[in-house]
Amino acid sequence: MAYKRQFYPGATTPAVNRRRYMDPKVNLKKLRDVSMDDVVRIMGHRNPGEDYKTIHAPLDENPYETLCPIRALVKPIEGAKSGDRIRYIQFTDSVYFAPISPYQRAWMYLSRYRGIDTGTLSGRQIIEVRERDLEVLAKEMIDNETFDPALTGIRGATVHGHACRLDENGLMFDGWQRYVWDDSKKEVVYVKDQVALPLDRKISVGKPASMSDLQKRTTIFRADGVDMRDDKEVSMYGLRIHKLRTLGGYQPFKVKGV
Amino acid sequence: MAQKEKLFMEACKKKFKEDPTDMSTKYYCYGGWKQSKSKVEFQKSAEAIAKERGFPMMNEDIGVPLGQRSWMPYQLSHTDIFAEADDLHCVNNPAMQQAWDDIRRTVLVGLNSPHETIEKRLGKEVTPETINNYLEIVNHTMPGGAVVQEHMAEVNPALVYDSYVKVFTGDDELADELDSRFLIDINKLFPKDQAEQLKKAVGKNLMQAVRVPTIVGRLMDGGTVSRHAAMQISMAFISAYKLAAGEAAIADFAYSAKHLSINMGTMMPARRARGPNEPGGIPFGFLADMTQSDRVYPDDPGRAALEAVALGAAVYDQIYLGGYMSGGVGFTQYATAAYTDNILEDYVYYAIDRIKDKYGGFCKLDPNNMDELMKLGDDVNTYALSMYEKYPAIMETHFGGSQRSTVAAAATGIAGAMATGIADCGVNSWYLSMLQHKERTGRLGFYGFDLQDQCGSANSFAYRSDEGLPMELRGPNYPNYAMNVGHMSGYTGIPKAAHVARGDAYTANPFIRVAFADPSLIFDFANITKEFGRGALREFKPAGERTAVIKG
Repeated sequence: MAYKRQFYPGATTPAVNRRRYMDPKVNLKKLRDVSMDDVVRIMGHRNPGEDYKTIHAPLDENPYETLCPIRALVKPIEGAKSGDRIRYIQFTDSVYFAPISPYQRAWMYLSRYRGIDTGTLSGRQIIEVRERDLEVLAKEMIDNETFDPALTGIRGATVHGHACRLDENGLMFDGWQRYVWDDSKKEVVYVKDQVALPLDRKISVGKPASMSDLQKRTTIFRADGVDMRDDKEVSMYGLRIHKLRTLGGYQPFKVKGV
Repeated sequence: MAQKEKLFMEACKKKFKEDPTDMSTKYYCYGGWKQSKSKVEFQKSAEAIAKERGFPMMNEDIGVPLGQRSWMPYQLSHTDIFAEADDLHCVNNPAMQQAWDDIRRTVLVGLNSPHETIEKRLGKEVTPETINNYLEIVNHTMPGGAVVQEHMAEVNPALVYDSYVKVFTGDDELADELDSRFLIDINKLFPKDQAEQLKKAVGKNLMQAVRVPTIVGRLMDGGTVSRHAAMQISMAFISAYKLAAGEAAIADFAYSAKHLSINMGTMMPARRARGPNEPGGIPFGFLADMTQSDRVYPDDPGRAALEAVALGAAVYDQIYLGGYMSGGVGFTQYATAAYTDNILEDYVYYAIDRIKDKYGGFCKLDPNNMDELMKLGDDVNTYALSMYEKYPAIMETHFGGSQRSTVAAAATGIAGAMATGIADCGVNSWYLSMLQHKERTGRLGFYGFDLQDQCGSANSFAYRSDEGLPMELRGPNYPNYAMNVGHMSGYTGIPKAAHVARGDAYTANPFIRVAFADPSLIFDFANITKEFGRGALREFKPAGERTAVIKG
């Protein structure tokens, strides 16, 4: 029987969401439509309409291409074919029931996309990829259910804030105030790009979700939401990994029935 | 049953005006860096320096706007001292520097071997009287006094008042006959049961605790400490026993002082390029022995572990990893989480209560019972992580995931160590905490955590070289710990916790334990957070200053 990917254990809401976000067969819900030009503006790597900068010639113009056995095995992504720079988008996810958190981002990206490089920290998650592919990915990630305007931040530098309390409008703290609350529209608008350079115009990313909605979408176990210990399978899985690693490094002969 | 007041409440209430359980606050309205006294002082000072030197210096208006949040003070744990984070930076805090200076400038040199040389090779008598005479002479030479040549330049005593040599022994009869001014008296300094253990371990050895001047350690390095000691000890022997300065036997004194001595830190590999007595070479068990809380507060094992954590944070995380290895502005904010605001305190005392409730006391959990060890770890770790979730004020206080990961894992590790009395069970519990933390929250610390904390379970009990070591003998130089910023504090607390729980008088080395009980040290190793606090309040007077030779 062919192995069927299970993605993640558990039956609770965060566990189910982890599985959904990781499974590439699941189409993530699109909650907003930020235009591609605005996504490009927020990322700040190039101006909308500007050519992509390249770091090497297109692969089909490379005379040595046919000599490379790896090239024969791996189909290049579009940006690699064209010689694009590798650029990034970095999301900061609040601890207060943000839809997704850094490790799940890494697992989701690696499960859904090719040609990417991720880096995971406590508050933020960077994903680096060829520029034209990045833009497609970034738009999906800003538009879909893993993004919340109040609790997800798009931040290149000065990223902390994920563990700070929320402001009076429910927004995650940002030392650069790249986004602000538009009280007239009850929406979050970006006024600065990823590295805090002012934008020419405000870009709306929409209305924040309600806390009850976020609790249904989140991947985070919390004492005031779903505690990890309430999910027996997730708890058991963590303990099992620790025990097997411990025994494997110390008394491997005691590992039985794996 | 009424819920106990959380130990971090006082700090939370001082930091934030909102209730510690409130998830909301206001930002961007506090006046930026001007709300911080120290930043205002820094700006004024930098402006004056810029004017004096004719080009710009530090400027608080450069870079990210500081002070967008309410500026938090930090409470030094188990004290009533509150300080600004700037004053806990190791460059700004003379007490932290002196803690490290006092460690670096210490070398322990046995007297048994040179006494045998004097008696057996040279045929001269060694008696308590000759030893006392030697001690008076070596307390002249060690700071930089001359005894052999007639026309020598000497060191100004006002610069090196902190330098001296004292001795200790496990032999009460010998101790009684020595000049008490030069004696580190085990019987007087330690509780009776600890004194008995230490005397048994030290035995009839007569050990010198040599304190090279602080200024020497700063001007040269830790590697010079045993050389300085060896030179001055040899001179003292020549003078005390009327020996010939050129006779071959003198080499034995220098040899024993250099090579039969106990350095505080071991040599490091060439790629890290540090001599002995530099912080990267100090095993966790040695630093735990330097921590003296359980000597002065023997009924509070939690405090002992927490004080070891604090010393580890300053010496390993702030000075070594933040300074020696990284450089730059350093890791103050990261490291202070482990010894401020009584947050780790709250978790550790919770763990102690749980251990007493579940097992009837310390060291009663069978270390072979891994399932039960994991249950305890799960309990303590869940408590720690849930506190962050229930009290947003402490979540914001530890606003970096690396801070929370270290603190939760330290509490869990200390719990495992105290419950079993085995430090390796403690470090195993540390790694359980890390794995569970990542699964629960979907986040942990900085990139580096992906290596050390996710493979650590596998090496926690391994003793094979390059794979593992008993926790007491691991240190920043242990292969997998070279980049474990923030972890070193907790790692130091774990072996300390195991051995205080057992009622041991020392963790790894009884000689080091006794040497740091010495009341003549400048830094008080029994009150570490208090000393750091005094440094932050600018009340601590360090040694090694040069003002005695500067006019004005």
